[in-house]
Amino acid sequence: MPTPGALLDRALALTALCERPDLHRRLTRVKQRVEAPSVRVLVVGEPKQGKSSLVNALVGAPVCPVADDVATTVPTVVRSGESPRAELLLAGAAAGDDGGGTTTRLPVPIETVAARVTGTAAEGVLQAEVELPRRLLADGLELVDTAGVGGVGAAHSPTTIDLLPSADAVLFVSDASQEFTAPELAFLTQAAALCPTVVCVLTKTDACPDWRRIAELDRAHLHAAEVPAEVLPVSATLGVLALTTQDRELQEESGIGALARYLRREVVERAEALSRRALVHDLSSVAEHLALAVRTELRGLEDPDGREELVGELEEARVAVEELRRRSSRWQQTLADGVTDLLADIDHDLRDRSRVVTREAEEAIDAGDPGPAWRELAEWLDQCIALAVADSFVWAEQRSQFLAEQVIGQFTADSGTALPELTVGSAAEALETLVDLPAIDSGALPLRERVLIGLRGSYTGVLMTGLVTSLAGLAIINPFSLAAGVLMGRRAYRDDKAQRLSRRQSEAKSIVRRHLDEVVFQVGKQLKDRLRLVQRTLRDTITDTVDEMSQSLADAVKAAQRASRSATAERDAQVRAVRQRLAELDRLARDVRSLEPGLTGGTR
Amino acid sequence: MTAPAEEDPVEQVRALLGEALEVYADEPAAASRLSAVRQRMDEPLRIALVGRVKAGKSTLLDALVGARLAPTDAGECTRVVTVYRYGRIPKVVLHDTAGTSRVLPARRVGGGLRLDLGGSAPEDVAQVVVEWPAPELEAATLVDSPGLASLSTDASDRTTSFLEAGDGVPGVDAVLYLTRHLQPDDVAALTSFQAAAAAAGRHTATLTVLSRADEVGGARLDALQAAAAVARRMSADPAIAAVTSAVVPVAGLLALGARTLRHGDVVALRALAAADRTAVAAMLLTTDRFLRAEAPVEVSPTVRAGLLERLGLFGVRLAVALVHAGIGDAATLADELLRRSGLPELQRLLQVHFTGRGRQLRVAAALQVVGDLLRTSPRPGTEGLAEAVERIRLAAVDVDELALLARLRAADDLLPPGLRAEAQRLLGAEGTAAASRLGLSGDGSAEELRGAAQDAVARWRQVTTDPALDRPATDAADVVLASCEALLTGLGRAPALRT
Repeated sequence: MPTPGALLDRALALTALCERPDLHRRLTRVKQRVEAPSVRVLVVGEPKQGKSSLVNALVGAPVCPVADDVATTVPTVVRSGESPRAELLLAGAAAGDDGGGTTTRLPVPIETVAARVTGTAAEGVLQAEVELPRRLLADGLELVDTAGVGGVGAAHSPTTIDLLPSADAVLFVSDASQEFTAPELAFLTQAAALCPTVVCVLTKTDACPDWRRIAELDRAHLHAAEVPAEVLPVSATLGVLALTTQDRELQEESGIGALARYLRREVVERAEALSRRALVHDLSSVAEHLALAVRTELRGLEDPDGREELVGELEEARVAVEELRRRSSRWQQTLADGVTDLLADIDHDLRDRSRVVTREAEEAIDAGDPGPAWRELAEWLDQCIALAVADSFVWAEQRSQFLAEQVIGQFTADSGTALPELTVGSAAEALETLVDLPAIDSGALPLRERVLIGLRGSYTGVLMTGLVTSLAGLAIINPFSLAAGVLMGRRAYRDDKAQRLSRRQSEAKSIVRRHLDEVVFQVGKQLKDRLRLVQRTLRDTITDTVDEMSQSLADAVKAAQRASRSATAERDAQVRAVRQRLAELDRLARDVRSLEPGLTGGTR
Repeated sequence: MTAPAEEDPVEQVRALLGEALEVYADEPAAASRLSAVRQRMDEPLRIALVGRVKAGKSTLLDALVGARLAPTDAGECTRVVTVYRYGRIPKVVLHDTAGTSRVLPARRVGGGLRLDLGGSAPEDVAQVVVEWPAPELEAATLVDSPGLASLSTDASDRTTSFLEAGDGVPGVDAVLYLTRHLQPDDVAALTSFQAAAAAAGRHTATLTVLSRADEVGGARLDALQAAAAVARRMSADPAIAAVTSAVVPVAGLLALGARTLRHGDVVALRALAAADRTAVAAMLLTTDRFLRAEAPVEVSPTVRAGLLERLGLFGVRLAVALVHAGIGDAATLADELLRRSGLPELQRLLQVHFTGRGRQLRVAAALQVVGDLLRTSPRPGTEGLAEAVERIRLAAVDVDELALLARLRAADDLLPPGLRAEAQRLLGAEGTAAASRLGLSGDGSAEELRGAAQDAVARWRQVTTDPALDRPATDAADVVLASCEALLTGLGRAPALRT
């Protein structure tokens, strides 16, 4: 079977030969994607459940810090590399940098990387990146130990949730000493909505005699919550011991081997199958586009009398495509309407959520003196907002996916009748490009925000963490903290004078309202930006498709005309050359079809 | 601090409550609050064990009592609020939400109790009251509560509503907060206890227990030392110190196992220690291996399962290591296991923070309830009562002490940082004995204590007149000064009275 790389090269050569730079560009992008596959697996869970130990056991090296206290405050990314190597991503650090500048990469010896991201040594470190030559990682698997941002409690979850859409799988870590708690299951439900594969890993089975009971209980909870996730029991301790003693039996007992196999089978191979399907789609559509012109030329050459009719047919099709492009057709309507609706809905949704929070906060303020309890109130508010924003985000994400499906569906319906010979591609494939929303270049952000991201996340992640911390009174530029300072000054003494109390209450309420307005404005803006990105991506994808169609048809018309002009003597030679090219294209199309995952046992 | 018997504030408060009950007899809500408070005056302190689901609350309760009373299980188990109090004969009474109560059979199983709701659904049960003849329960009534953040939200709600206990009579006097690892959510929970108590001017003390400490670091032999290090770091964190009196690691299962260690257990442990060390180490690698049918030692699988259930994997590892180290006899082994479990330290802290202050806490709570009532629904003729409240409050320095302690915890800028720690100590945050208040070791002579007390009086008298301090701070300093003076008076009464 030909390799995807070889096929891509053949197709690239053919696009160059047929003078189709647009298709050449498209294939070059595909090539880049195929050459650097990346399957990102987030390792998440409450603190002290054994996330870092699990990553260490999976890759067989102590690259993530493990300690009795909270160890990791910085996420660690472990991916494949030719030789063991570690790098720290530092904030600022360049001389004279005032905090608005770039990030620096600092290579460190791999043995020290765990120590460098622990405790005070971790200051200024945004992320650790480790490369290891491991079979498990060879196919682009990338493990992200989300310690530090990986909590599933209200304060942490927005950041983690924000990472989910960019992940191919989530390993949810919970130890065998107890069944799932309410926040854990809530997180799992959200994760299952945003990420294709969620696996629950039950850790520390060596020290918990009742792990089988706990696993059963957890499966029952997952079933009740309709979360389609497996529960895999493992013992990282045994896994490491098995590695040092080279004990196969122990290795099996630890469950680490089973987990690695599961990751390969369900995550890596599934991601491969998906990317292969996208590749097959790209290649066969390019082959079809190229074949259209070649086949037309051949028909023109072989049947000179019918060419008027042929050119007429082609012109008709071309007009139809031009129409499709020019006319504000239905897919654009669907997109525009959908985006407008969604923008309004996002606004309404956010305002609704913020109203609920405001009401609760006002009740709390009325119930007592906001002065002494201000810090607690601010923390509570902070958590409520984080939770509301996370919900809003999940909801907006699902809505935009749904919109994308509708738009693609509409476009397929619109164009399907006009252009029977060219396939457009399914919504699922177009969505693949959407799921990979462009990651933030962490270098371009001001330091204040960057320190908070930790991981490459999307804009909302930055914003939410920014809010979470600024609420705690960290940011001086936040208008909220200026007014809050006035209150803080007084909170020491319980003042029972009714007049001052009520003034303080109304002041507190207005601060809360003002702050929530700001939150709604900022989050709304970020969600809208994200939606606009979805809109732009969709529009560009579809416009490109139309452009390609139009170009292919124009080429076909030209080819037919060229065929009609050529003299009889040259015709035979031309027919031969064109036939040869067509045969080459057919071979390519056939080879591409043999890549179909359906034939090689892929999933879904 | 000690007032003459005829001025005993407890007696005075009792009389006050009696009078108030007469005045408010026609107001059922007020009357029930007052009679609840009066009833509590005669009861031991109530200490609630609160924490996340599966934090080990029931196991710790059993360890504190020294008997298996609270039902425990691998899954979530405690679903109703259960009060364990002293009684000469075992008795279980179930109070349901409809207001009726019935006696349940108290079945003794192996020195413990098998609790059975007798067919009642947990959501219909308001609380279960267990009476048990354990001397530990005479000092304090213990309350087991369903875990917070439970998947069955009803259970969590029952805990929350019990703690808040609506009508102004707090369900508990003190909270033992259990957590396996102190997370932001836990700090928030502790803060809310503190805030609720401080808002009511009440001093609800909280001790934080790092529970299941034997599971730290995968039940390594030094797990408890590691847990102690974590606890120390947490105690030093100002954010945590603000909401809890202390953080202590306790391995509840180990403590309970040690307190109920059987002869058969010791024999089995000795057999394990006597066998080939490598083989036993391999057995102790995982619980699954320890329970395998075939084993290189003459200890039957059933006995091994019993050991694991009662001591936990860490407990077995530790006990075997202790026997290796030469501790062979059952009593010494049990003592050593108990000492290492961290339970004795927790018991000491409970004494210092809660039970040693029982009288104070009760008087303060009662005055608070009566004072609130008089303010919110004054009646003709209650002026006398209000005066009595004020009189008792003035006479009992410790009531002000408690209120100030509560406020010092809630507001970190009431006193300048340099004075705050000393003020808390003098107010009795680390124990109400003279030496603890003065920060001296217990064996100081009376002369030394008096000298230190005199210094404290002089220092705080200066603070009260410090022009740089604002009014709230000088008011607080007045309370501290009063405590110092009372302390000096108490000491001065000893050998030679000096002025």
